[in-house]
Amino acid sequence: MAYLMIVDDDEDFASAAAKALRADGHEVRIELETAAALKAMGERRPELVVLDVMFPENSAAGFDLARTMRHEHPELKDMPVLMLTAVNAQFPLGFSSRDIDDVWLPVDEFLEKPVNLDLLRSKVSALLARQAPVRSGK
Amino acid sequence: MPEISPAAMATYDLPLSAAGRPPAHAAGSEAFGYLPESLLVGNAVWFCRLRWLVIGILTAFGLLNLVPGLFLRIGLRPQPVWPFVVAAILSVANLGFLAHARRLGRADARDGGKANLWAQILVDLAVLTVVVHYVGSLETNVAFAYLFHIVLACIFFPRAPSFAITAIACALYTGCVVLEETGVLGLAGIYADSALRRLIDRTSAAWLVNVGWAILTWAVVAYLTAHLSGMVRRRDGELAETNRLLVQAQNERTQHMLRTTHELKAPFSAIHANVQLLLKGFYGPITAETRDILQRIAARCDRLGTEIKEMLQLANLESKTQAPLPRVALDVAEVLRRCVAQVRPTAEARGVAIDENLQAATAEAVEDHITMLFANLLANAVNYSNPGGHIRVECTPGSGDGPEVTIEDQGIGIPPDKLPRIFDPYYRTVEAVQHNKESTGLGLAIVRQAAEANAVRVRVASAPGVGTRFTLKLPPAAKPDSSLQSET
Repeated sequence: MAYLMIVDDDEDFASAAAKALRADGHEVRIELETAAALKAMGERRPELVVLDVMFPENSAAGFDLARTMRHEHPELKDMPVLMLTAVNAQFPLGFSSRDIDDVWLPVDEFLEKPVNLDLLRSKVSALLARQAPVRSGK
Repeated sequence: MPEISPAAMATYDLPLSAAGRPPAHAAGSEAFGYLPESLLVGNAVWFCRLRWLVIGILTAFGLLNLVPGLFLRIGLRPQPVWPFVVAAILSVANLGFLAHARRLGRADARDGGKANLWAQILVDLAVLTVVVHYVGSLETNVAFAYLFHIVLACIFFPRAPSFAITAIACALYTGCVVLEETGVLGLAGIYADSALRRLIDRTSAAWLVNVGWAILTWAVVAYLTAHLSGMVRRRDGELAETNRLLVQAQNERTQHMLRTTHELKAPFSAIHANVQLLLKGFYGPITAETRDILQRIAARCDRLGTEIKEMLQLANLESKTQAPLPRVALDVAEVLRRCVAQVRPTAEARGVAIDENLQAATAEAVEDHITMLFANLLANAVNYSNPGGHIRVECTPGSGDGPEVTIEDQGIGIPPDKLPRIFDPYYRTVEAVQHNKESTGLGLAIVRQAAEANAVRVRVASAPGVGTRFTLKLPPAAKPDSSLQSET
């Protein structure tokens, strides 16, 4: 069981997703904006982040947070990020290529909204299982 | 309530959008301004090419002068020197103009075309005055050659410079005649017998009438040409501006649609997620009736989810503001195989069989577009088939003109008069709605956009009650991958 963080400005969705993930025994913290999420990650490092892309003041805030984690915070560098969007290199949705370039943003998994909660749970489990050897090795 | 002092208030002026701005200063000023630099440079090169023709004619004229007795036999005075001198001067000047214009073209310069054209016209007018003097300023019509430059200047230049060029032409011609009439320049007409010129000179009003009439003609031609050219350029500018606004509006509309659809996803995702929680019993057991209602909500959520996804796909395909995706050599059979695998569970659930005959074939296209295209056609084939029906999916490499893909069903078919409309967004035939109420009406619109973006030719043949066959001709890959040539 793991400590997870959901970063999404939609509290209703975040609560529903958290409910489903808690049913699998995970401890889940919800953050509604990215700056607070980064601060909370500094206080206690989650083992996985479920991250939305678009936030009210910045339509690419999710990308910005992931990039900050990857490039400016060594302790968060390897944390799995499950991005809640259909946005990818094939469907850029108006985001710049800098936002979605794999070099800039090596997110681990995408999951399109509306989210199938069973799929969310299985993807989270798979990502945590992939991380498990790393964690046990530390 | 305490009043806030104006100094303490932050202000912000809402900028007007393009649609709210006063229309097109550019279009209005274009009519009275110079043409764009690229056009000026293009015309400078074109002038130079025309000038080689003039140089050729002058040289030929000079050579004919050298044929003994030829000119005298037809009543002309041999003038063997000036045609060669003028041709040489024009050649040197032309080489200079051409080199300058080409340098401007290569450097993508923002200025210089105007100066080049001005220099060309001034040199031409000076050289033409020399020619007019030697051919005969009053006894021949050669002076009307000034009109070529006047008309071209009026077409390419704004009104004031073109009138200035007209004035320079008039001054040069008048100066030439005056210098001849006052004896500063000796008479040098082309006719062997100078009686005609002497007669004109003896009639004091003749040269004034000739020069006056020529100048009047040039002035009228210049005015008419400048006026008409201005109208055409103004109209041209207005059309260009309208086109720009239309393209911008289309892009803004697509971006707005993308954002709106994306925004709709947020509340919808929350509804969808909470319904799933209730259905899965996260909040305790529910009655059969509640479950039935929740399942209906979930089903509508699934349909709305599909619709939002298709709207986003369509808006992305229509969007012109994003950089085009790379076209790659694509294993068409493999893409088809993946798409068939996706729809097969649904087909089996409906009792519909899918027969595959997929030969290796390589096309050059955007993989995701082609995947969307196939997925939508296959989904339609499954959705509009009857239980027990067969779907034939075939891929052949084609005869050098690109792979050919056929997706054929034995479903409800499409009435012939409705075929032209099936690719319109949200269009659904009555028969289609009766057979499958879940359709969004966007699938074939996505097919059209994906086909257009990848130059895929689509042919549909259908008969009600018999079935529908889509035949696709994909663009061939530039360099076919030899590893894909063997049949799979």
